Amino acid sequence: MSSPFSPEGVAKQLDYCTYCPKMCRLACPVSNASARETLIPQAKMDTLNQLRRGRVPWSEPAAEPLWGCTGCRHCTVYCEHDNEPGLVLFSGRAEATSRGVGHPRLTDYPARFRNRDERLAERVREHVPRDRLGADTTVTFFPGCDAIDKAPEGISKALSLFDAATDDRVQVADIGRACAGYPLLAAGYPDMFRWHAAKVAGDLKRARTAIVGCSACVYTMRTQYAAEGINVSTEVLSVPEFLADRISRTPKRNRGESVYYHDPCYLSRYAGVVEAPRRVLAQIADVREFSWSGVDTVCCGGGGMLPKTMPETADAMAAQRLREIAQRGGGTVVTSCGTCSYMLARNAPRGVEVTDLHAYVADAAGAQPSPDATGDRAPGAEPSAPKRPSSTSDAP
Amino acid sequence: MTARVARAPNLGEELEAIVGHGHATDRPAHLAEVGIRAAASEPATWLVRPGSGAEIAEIVRLANRRHIPVSPVGAAARPPAALGAAEAGILVDLRRMSHVLHLDETSLVVHVQAGLSAHALEHILAPRGLSLGDFPPAILASTVGGMLSVRTPGKSSPRHGFIEEAVLGISAVLGDGRSIHTRVAPRRATGPDLARALCGSEGTLGFITSAVLRIHRRPEARFLSAHHLPDFEAALSAVHLAMREDAAPAALRVYDERQARAGLGDGAVRPGGAVLLAATAGPTDLAACDRDLIASSASALGGTPIAESFAETWWRQRTGREDSPSAALPSLQVSARPSRQAAVHRALRAAAAEAGIEVCVYASRFDPYGAVLFVTLIDPSTGEALGAQAEDAARGAIERAAEQAGAALLGAVPPALTPYFEDMRRRLDPAGIMNPRALASGSE
Amino acid sequence: MTRPAIDSDRLARALRPIVGDDRISAKETDLTTYSRDMWPRLLISIREGTPLPHRAHLVVWPETVGEVAEIVRVARSQGVPIIPYGGGSGVCGGTVPVKGGIALDLKRMSAVAKIDRDDLICDVQAGANGEHFERELATRGYTFGHFPSSIYVSTVGGWVATRAAGQMSSKYGKVEDRIAGVTMVTGRGDIIDTDGLARSHRGPSWTQLLVGSEGTLGVITSARLRVSPAPELRVLRGYSFPDLIGGIEALRRIMQRGLRPAVLRLYDEFDTLMNALSGGGDRAPADIRHHHAPSPPAGAGALPRVPTQSADVEERSGLLGQIVGQLVPKDRRRGLTQSLRRELVAATLSRPRLFNNVAGPVASRGLRRGCRMIVGLEGSRVRTETEARLTFGELERAGGVDLGEEPGRRWLEHRYSVSYKMSPAFRAGAFVDTMEVASTWERLVDLYRSVRAAIAKHALVMAHLSHAYPEGCSIYFTFAGYADNQKHAEKLYDELWRSGMEAATRAGGTISHHHGVGLLKSLHMREEHRESMAILEALKASMDPDDIMNPGKLGLSAGGLS
Ligand SMILES: Cc1cc2nc3c(=O)[nH]c(=O)nc-3n(C[C@H](O)[C@H](O)[C@H](O)COP(=O)(O)OP(=O)(O)OC[C@H]3O[C@@H](n4cnc5c(N)ncnc54)[C@H](O)[C@@H]3O)c2cc1C
Ligand code: SF4
Ligand code: SF4
Repeated sequence: MSSPFSPEGVAKQLDYCTYCPKMCRLACPVSNASARETLIPQAKMDTLNQLRRGRVPWSEPAAEPLWGCTGCRHCTVYCEHDNEPGLVLFSGRAEATSRGVGHPRLTDYPARFRNRDERLAERVREHVPRDRLGADTTVTFFPGCDAIDKAPEGISKALSLFDAATDDRVQVADIGRACAGYPLLAAGYPDMFRWHAAKVAGDLKRARTAIVGCSACVYTMRTQYAAEGINVSTEVLSVPEFLADRISRTPKRNRGESVYYHDPCYLSRYAGVVEAPRRVLAQIADVREFSWSGVDTVCCGGGGMLPKTMPETADAMAAQRLREIAQRGGGTVVTSCGTCSYMLARNAPRGVEVTDLHAYVADAAGAQPSPDATGDRAPGAEPSAPKRPSSTSDAP
Repeated sequence: MTARVARAPNLGEELEAIVGHGHATDRPAHLAEVGIRAAASEPATWLVRPGSGAEIAEIVRLANRRHIPVSPVGAAARPPAALGAAEAGILVDLRRMSHVLHLDETSLVVHVQAGLSAHALEHILAPRGLSLGDFPPAILASTVGGMLSVRTPGKSSPRHGFIEEAVLGISAVLGDGRSIHTRVAPRRATGPDLARALCGSEGTLGFITSAVLRIHRRPEARFLSAHHLPDFEAALSAVHLAMREDAAPAALRVYDERQARAGLGDGAVRPGGAVLLAATAGPTDLAACDRDLIASSASALGGTPIAESFAETWWRQRTGREDSPSAALPSLQVSARPSRQAAVHRALRAAAAEAGIEVCVYASRFDPYGAVLFVTLIDPSTGEALGAQAEDAARGAIERAAEQAGAALLGAVPPALTPYFEDMRRRLDPAGIMNPRALASGSE
Repeated sequence: MTRPAIDSDRLARALRPIVGDDRISAKETDLTTYSRDMWPRLLISIREGTPLPHRAHLVVWPETVGEVAEIVRVARSQGVPIIPYGGGSGVCGGTVPVKGGIALDLKRMSAVAKIDRDDLICDVQAGANGEHFERELATRGYTFGHFPSSIYVSTVGGWVATRAAGQMSSKYGKVEDRIAGVTMVTGRGDIIDTDGLARSHRGPSWTQLLVGSEGTLGVITSARLRVSPAPELRVLRGYSFPDLIGGIEALRRIMQRGLRPAVLRLYDEFDTLMNALSGGGDRAPADIRHHHAPSPPAGAGALPRVPTQSADVEERSGLLGQIVGQLVPKDRRRGLTQSLRRELVAATLSRPRLFNNVAGPVASRGLRRGCRMIVGLEGSRVRTETEARLTFGELERAGGVDLGEEPGRRWLEHRYSVSYKMSPAFRAGAFVDTMEVASTWERLVDLYRSVRAAIAKHALVMAHLSHAYPEGCSIYFTFAGYADNQKHAEKLYDELWRSGMEAATRAGGTISHHHGVGLLKSLHMREEHRESMAILEALKASMDPDDIMNPGKLGLSAGGLS
């Protein structure tokens, strides 16, 4: 049997989806939120299959369904053929883009990506004391774009936790780049991605360990860099993995509060990180579950460039995700991804609070950041990001 | 309705030509036998006794040609007074059509003509160890056709469902004289269940001539049990709890204190209390299991078992082997789904108290969707049932109170669907001859 | 393509004030998606790249009953058809817009109302996805007990519209056995509630007249369904019977004794063999699978490349191997006798008679497997234990051999796996489909033999019985056929269905137990119902006087295909 990534393998995936009785459709958050049959995994894959076979000529409208995917991999949980619609559709986007029929809102995306990346890299410096910045340490922290953009105060909180958890002095990566490049893949620019990835990997290579705050970046750096032939010797860990590995040194102070944990797709389904965040959280709160959680988690709407290509649907997904909590009388939702927490927070119904795992744990610990983690600006001094239309966000 | 009174002198001959000599009559004495008061002046009413579906088809065709109404006269179950004073037209008495056409003991299915009474059918089935099911004995008095044509709650049992659900196929004559035979199948997915259009349509969409019914083996065991509960609503809750636990009893009844005293004697009930009576049946272990489930549900609601003899008394009364002391017909009946039963009960008691009368209540005819509350209005000064006039005066307010609390009054025709029903009726019976007075909007 | 004169723009103008811009689409991609369902005959065209013959003019997504009513009124005033669309998982072409019009997607209406503990009734909107509905009930401690193999795909409205049946129907019943009432917007544009809880109404049961209407009478917008407390206990077992007749007899005895196991599945000899060979499914179910993204090989690129058509050639050329490979997974092939393997390879789907003749005897004699039965009971603890004891006793008395829990558990884990088998078969150039007929017990064996013989002339066929009642049972035939081009395949397909339907009717069975009619069986409706069609026609004329509701279906007016 050919590899799922070989041309034969991908052809088989596309054909299987074309003939499939839509078995994974229950899971696809995009079609669930929009109720549009054309956006169920089967139909999106069939769209690409017909384009590839030349039965439908490539055009922007014909390729439009390919953009209705966050790459969340929820469909794969229900596919008994091991198909990977998310990755295959992203490759369809690349094909569309290279044929000049990419998404109309993403034609100048690489330039915008670069600008934002530089701006955010700059922003990190404003929020982190100079002595906690660097590229040369054994353990480096790579917060991810949305964490820097939308919740920069959380960075110091994370540092306070790392300081307690390890004797290594963790520094925030100051490499002039804030993103590992996932949005470039999702936007249909794999060549730009390769270029960007090589830069990031090169700049991080001195670190033994990189703690990565963005769930998509974790998978991208761990797996997709290597797939591009980029050698990453650095160990890539998500924040919850890093803390769980040092569980004896993470805060323990159960306040009897209960919190819901929202699994970011890229952590649970791509990287297999399901237990670590729960272990960390369980030390300070009772962890309650969404009815869809773990590898069955439901996407927040922030992935796959959806906030750019289908902003209403992306917001509807986040709102739908939290509806259950509202129905149960509200509560606090903790997650461990900058993008998830941004998407969920901006769509949270009344009575539902959304916060990042590191911020929640640090606050619970009594918000006693070690003195040298505090910069000129006290953590939390800046009000949390107000609700903004998502089109201003370059969130993946 | 457009039907005109038939005045053709040879109608009787034509009918006799169809059904055979001696099976068509317009003699007032014969009409009286089926409860019809004939108008003295104009003997335009004919009573015919066809012997087959084919003959009914011919009668209906004749009625079409002559624009004469055709109406069924049932057996005793429905008072034929529904027709009131004789109306011109043809009354069809199905008593000759009382044969079992096919008994399939492999499938437990019987094909029976519509004129056979359910009682008689039970007599045929019993020696073979078979039965229609645990339906209330009261409904067995009617013919199979009558039982199926009129849909009222109570033609059901918790274990065997509604009688019309036992219909696997139906033969009928439509208003234009066409005969139909729906396909017999345990279940199907070929459009709506067409047999169910005829069940409950009271002879308007078609004249049921025979039915294929599911039957059951007689139960291996039957257990009767009786429980005393602190109050009426606790007894209802015990029923709901047992049903949640999957119990499928053959019959259930809940008596309030007054009804328990009247039906079972003073020893059955303490002041304010209520009695829950249950029959469970089926494979011995399962019937025992259901009995135990009911017992534990009753006990969970503060109930205690009382002598089985009380249940035996109830059972004998129910099956007509013993007269029920409260022979008077209840003053009113309402149905309510489980969650509304307690509220309805409270509401009707409160409304009665307001009017200065007392009530005597029992709940019966339990099915998955609810139960019927039977209410007798009592004159507090005598302790006896109210007289007819006082009853009529009081009934309205109590019914309204029950309705507001979520009850449904029996016998209404759903108004929103009436236009659709009338439309179907016009299409299937363009001449308007099929039991024209039945099921008009709001009719009883 | 037949596209009657419908002015899409005018229609859209009239609909926009009702639903706004976002919930109307005339996009080509959407019109393509909504032009089909899972009718296998359409997949033959799709595989060959022939455009499907019928398309809607617009897709509309209502969010409230009121909107649906307004849409129906607009459609009525403009004489435009409406095709209710649920999950599009129907297998009979029920959602094919044979006269164009509005594809009305109900999936934005999916709310599940509160359940009253005592009533055990749940009011749910038509667009709710089946699996979502079940999980929602599960979190509240209930189950609807309806588990069709398409539960991941189909909607509550689709179930009600087609009289669907789930894998646990012998306890919980088919959908029509579990429904207290529906809310429907009729073809006249009125909103009606049937029966509901008021069993006191006289007149016919409107619920039963609307259930199964497949969109031809109106749009079902919600249904009151009977739910049960979530089971406390579930018991599963496998049994083996020397032959099919013995197994059928056991099913009958269980049901007629008043026992109601949730699962009763009896496989014929060939289906038993197929099941054994595939282990019931090749993978562990989703929730227990270790779930990680695959790693593309180093250097292969972060994303795969979209392959050109040349990537298809290899697989298509190995057609025979493909089919046999699907029938017999690699790791099991060793277990087969040499001669059987040869027979499997030799018997191609293009020679179905040979294969069917070989497969049956080989399956029963060569492997001495007999017929497999899966039995499952669930419900409250005490009652389930008692019922299980009685059921197993009955099975043993009927000659069944207890195979223990394992086959039952395996079945449960893989109970939806069969639905995934369409893809490999179609990719390999074959077509697969299912035919589900039913009759009373008396006629059942005759029904089995005649329908099987009718199909066997054209395709490889196997069967199981999975919906038993005290008075009868359904038989579910699965078949795979092959022809060298689209035209021949469609001809073979049509011929197979025609002879299968005729055989079922002749043997005194119904032509459909739970898949419905759609376009596929529309032409056979008259044989099924004979003169009783007059009632259906009257019902149709009263509910939908202008024939705008899903025209061309249920044998009510000329369909577009066949
Ligand atoms: C792999 C597979 C396995 C299957 N397994 C089973 C099974 O185990 N049991 C079973 O019973 N069926 C099964 N089916 C058939 C199919 O899933 C059922 O017929 C299902 O009930 C259809 O639901 P849907 O929501 O997909 O309806 P659709 O396919 O969208 O529609 C079916 C029909 O109903 C009408 N309709 C849909 N919604 C409404 C509404 N709200 N109001 C009015 N009309 C409406 C449509 O117009 C159409 O005529 C299977 C199908 C597949 C592909
Ligand atoms: S990913 Fe798998 S389950 Fe989903 S449509 Fe494709 S083949 Fe079917
Ligand atoms: S990856 Fe997620 S968004 Fe994309 S098709 Fe699969 S389920 Fe839908």
